[in-house]
Amino acid sequence: MNYNQPLELTGLVSNLHEFFRDNLSPFWATLVEGALVLLALLTLYAVIALALIYIERKITAFFQSRLGPNRLGKYGVIQSIADMIKILIKEIIHIKEVDKFLFYAAPFFVIVSSMLTFGAIPFGQGLQAVDFNIGIVYVLATSSIGIIGVLLAGWSSNNKYSMLGAMRSGAQFISYELSAGFALMTVVVLSGTMQLSEIVESQRYAWNIFNGHILALIAFIIYLISGHAETNRGPFDLPEAEGELTAGYHTEYSGLQFGFFYLAEYLNMFIIASIATTVFLGGWMPIQIKGWDAFNQIMWYIPSYVWFFGKAGFLVFLSLWVRWTFPRMRIDLLLNLEWKYLLPINLINIIVMVVMVLMGWTLSDWFPALFGN
Amino acid sequence: MNPFIKYISGIFTALKALIGGLRVTWRELWRKKVTMQYPENRETLVISDRWRSELHMPHDENNEHACTACGICMNNCPNGTIKVTSNMEETEDGKKKRVLDKYVWDYGTCTFCNLCVITCPSDAIQFNNDFEGAMYDRSKLIRQLNKPGSKLREKEKVEKPAAPAKEAAKPTEAPAKKEEKKEIAPEAKKADEKSSDKENK
Amino acid sequence: MKDLILNIVPDAVIEEKEKLTVTVEPKQLHPLVKALYSNKELPFDYLISLIGMDWGDKLGVIYLLSSSKDMSREIAIITATEDRENPLLYSITDMYEAAHLNEREVYALLGIRFINNPDMRKFLLAEDWNGYPLRKDYNDDPKLNPITIANKEIVDIAPFIKEDEKGNLVEGTTDIFEEDDYVINIGPQHPSTHGVMHFRTALNGEVIKKIDVHSGYIHRGIEKMAESMTYPQILHLTDRLDYLSASNNRHALCMCVEKAAGIEVPERAQYIRVIMDELNRISSHLLAWAAHCNDLGGTTAFIYGVREREHVLDIFDKTCGGRLIVNYNVIGGVMNDIYPDFQKDVKAFIPYMREKLVEYDNFFTHNPITLNRMINVGNLSYEDAVSYAVTGPAGRGSGWSCDVRIHKPYSLYDKVKFKEIIRTEGDSYARYLNRLDEIEQALQIIEQLVDNIPEGEFKAKTKPIIRLPEGQFYQSVEAGKGEFAVFIESKGDKSPYRIKFRSPSFAAVSAMPIISEGELLTDFIGIGGSMDYVIPDIDR
Repeated sequence: MNYNQPLELTGLVSNLHEFFRDNLSPFWATLVEGALVLLALLTLYAVIALALIYIERKITAFFQSRLGPNRLGKYGVIQSIADMIKILIKEIIHIKEVDKFLFYAAPFFVIVSSMLTFGAIPFGQGLQAVDFNIGIVYVLATSSIGIIGVLLAGWSSNNKYSMLGAMRSGAQFISYELSAGFALMTVVVLSGTMQLSEIVESQRYAWNIFNGHILALIAFIIYLISGHAETNRGPFDLPEAEGELTAGYHTEYSGLQFGFFYLAEYLNMFIIASIATTVFLGGWMPIQIKGWDAFNQIMWYIPSYVWFFGKAGFLVFLSLWVRWTFPRMRIDLLLNLEWKYLLPINLINIIVMVVMVLMGWTLSDWFPALFGN
Repeated sequence: MNPFIKYISGIFTALKALIGGLRVTWRELWRKKVTMQYPENRETLVISDRWRSELHMPHDENNEHACTACGICMNNCPNGTIKVTSNMEETEDGKKKRVLDKYVWDYGTCTFCNLCVITCPSDAIQFNNDFEGAMYDRSKLIRQLNKPGSKLREKEKVEKPAAPAKEAAKPTEAPAKKEEKKEIAPEAKKADEKSSDKENK
Repeated sequence: MKDLILNIVPDAVIEEKEKLTVTVEPKQLHPLVKALYSNKELPFDYLISLIGMDWGDKLGVIYLLSSSKDMSREIAIITATEDRENPLLYSITDMYEAAHLNEREVYALLGIRFINNPDMRKFLLAEDWNGYPLRKDYNDDPKLNPITIANKEIVDIAPFIKEDEKGNLVEGTTDIFEEDDYVINIGPQHPSTHGVMHFRTALNGEVIKKIDVHSGYIHRGIEKMAESMTYPQILHLTDRLDYLSASNNRHALCMCVEKAAGIEVPERAQYIRVIMDELNRISSHLLAWAAHCNDLGGTTAFIYGVREREHVLDIFDKTCGGRLIVNYNVIGGVMNDIYPDFQKDVKAFIPYMREKLVEYDNFFTHNPITLNRMINVGNLSYEDAVSYAVTGPAGRGSGWSCDVRIHKPYSLYDKVKFKEIIRTEGDSYARYLNRLDEIEQALQIIEQLVDNIPEGEFKAKTKPIIRLPEGQFYQSVEAGKGEFAVFIESKGDKSPYRIKFRSPSFAAVSAMPIISEGELLTDFIGIGGSMDYVIPDIDR
């Protein structure tokens, strides 16, 4: 069924593509297109990070019965841009007796890892830079490069606080990567594919979280928890734990280098929300009900990228809500939670999911008329 | 209890408590915020009338104050924040009289303990509510409180005992200040006697 | 009691002053204290205060002892040495853990060294400070102790002087840390030390192996300053000790002076004082709660606690003219009468606070992370609480009934009804809950008083210059953090010969090393929050 999609960007993208194919040799066309995609992604990256910083500050303030930034521009919207300019022109302090090469390389690991992951996310219909057939594995792999940056930062800073932060970070990241991976694998079992675009496509009439009902819901919650932990944000912010380690692994960083860590932290939060959206909540796919064409048409009038950012935004809000409500975990509690609760539940969950898919107990198997693709 | 049931029930009690916490912040999200927007709310800002900010010496319309330069405040100040300098002048009837020359108060070292105000026998100084004391220059913190050309309020006040005069002034004052004065009155008399004793010596 | 003392030390001079005062020779001190300490019926196991004194011809110490079983029984033991060049007294650290830091403080400020104290470094002052400030012949020439910006290495070597079996004095040194300890500095600039506190912490992984407390970065010498001030002037310094219990501290000094000078405080003033004390206790506990939550990583809770505290400060603001440093109590009463709105404001605050206490419970108290991070963490046993003299909500969390308001009632506290909150677990959670419950008790006390403030004077008439008769005067109050005591030795002047404040935070910090040992670094911060110490109270 083809619906009218007036605000979709697919037309623009394919027009541009044809324009370059017609006017340039294939080599140059690919190069220019690549450059444009890179530029678009970098811009989006920066804009999302700035928006998230502003949103977090505002929502945090509301949770804490404050007003948040409200001096710069209407409701303080320019605040994070001003902060960005400040951080760009700030002096980078050169510290004696650090391992210079590793110290300067560390922020790049962090930011490159989050950028690589960012590139693979389907933001909307046709708005995906790379669509691997092993998309989920790729996302898991690239997002875990970041930990190298954190470990390097802690090690090379020649600071005892940073060192402790990095060590905590290592233990935490390796543990929670497992849960996150298994939670995603549960969905791979359900959808039968690892390609992100196909996973989205398969959720046309039934989001995975509904299709796999209880089991998918458990996987979703586990993914949110472990994803939240992977981004090093409260209550899992032990690596920085400002109360005890001052700023943890990035204590010694200043200026733009600190900015990289800061940006990556916010982007990682968004990336986790995006992956959860894509995998569990139907990605950019609007809400559709089989047979209700008029309703579906109205839903399609809202462009797919709005759906995507709306769903991801909701998950980001959840993460903020949790972060600003709970106190910080302790390292042993954190590992307890992972190894004694999340991982065993996850393992059982994935086995039961396999059985469920084989036995045809999913929603789309039970009610193909309503939820079948 | 069966460890497995304990494990499962542990998860649910934990979840329940966590949701309880989330509910508190959720409700807070929609409540009125407590932040005061300071420079904007200058008009509506209420500062308690007893608030101690800057020491000042009230002058009346004739540029007269009540300070007799007795120096009690200076002696009572724990940090040497107040410096009173006085001249001896001869009045028409030949008596020697102490006249205030400079009353200097240092905002920077004042701890706002109020001892100078409550011990002043003539109620010549008060703390006001002007709390915006930020300064670019430290030298501006040192202030002369008596205005140039001002002099001691003459009148019968000097001859009359201090207390009745204050009693007359009371009804026009704010209720808060009233009580302050009541307390000062008995002490003030004694202090007056004492200071005159000193002078005699 | 006298018989017991005379049994041990036949030539002790016993006087019945405000407290039973015993004067003994330095040699006899240790056996006497030991006998009192191990007295079966009433063990004097609580060292309230250890007051270093300079009497001009003699340097000495006043030990103020009490019993954990019955805090109203107190005894003062005085000992002194004539040797000003190398004064030596015997340490009582083998019985009272609280004596460790106190004796080090006396060494720094008066130069008295204690035999058998294993660690005789200066506390509160730098190791290379010239002169002993609390001695009467102290030379305060700035040239002797110039201000320097040079980096000073911390030397972790402690000198000691001890008596061997033959009775010879041996001097030596010990190392605080082992050679390959991983030592990390928590403070003096650290977000969670609640001020300029410095803990040298040896870690084993993330587990704390040993803590060495350094303090004195903001030591202001209030006790020395007070020796040249009149009593009304000293009052403004008490607010600056534990600034969260400003009213309570000031109340203690006022009562001490009133008692000594025989000033009768009007009943109206008593009522106002007690209400103010309890309001201040609420504000102190609220901030303690908020800071504790913040130390555990709950930033939002911090804002909530401070939000409620603001209401208390608004009440102070209207009546006292100050918010933190309220400057309200004066000798003989209070500075101003209550503000006309006072009763209305207080009555509006009580239900508001109760509602918020329920919210705090939902928000933080039952949170599984909170429970895991507080239950069975930072255990302080009853014996340790007494030995380290940890009073207040922390001491009561270890099962020690140590509320001064009950055991040594002052002002109106024998007339109001309230419950002493005691928990026996001794962990962070007990201390945490104690504070929240004490807020409720304080609200109940205020409820009983606020409507019944009698008419009358709010301040007794006092002489313009207050002179205390010759003698030694003591007064304890229950401040927000524990027993706060004032000791005044007067020679009949308008300023004290010696004034000493017993600060509850001092004891709380001295107990930090033992309760944090074997805990994780993360929990060390949380334990610090649960002990709720305020640095200016330590660095008097």
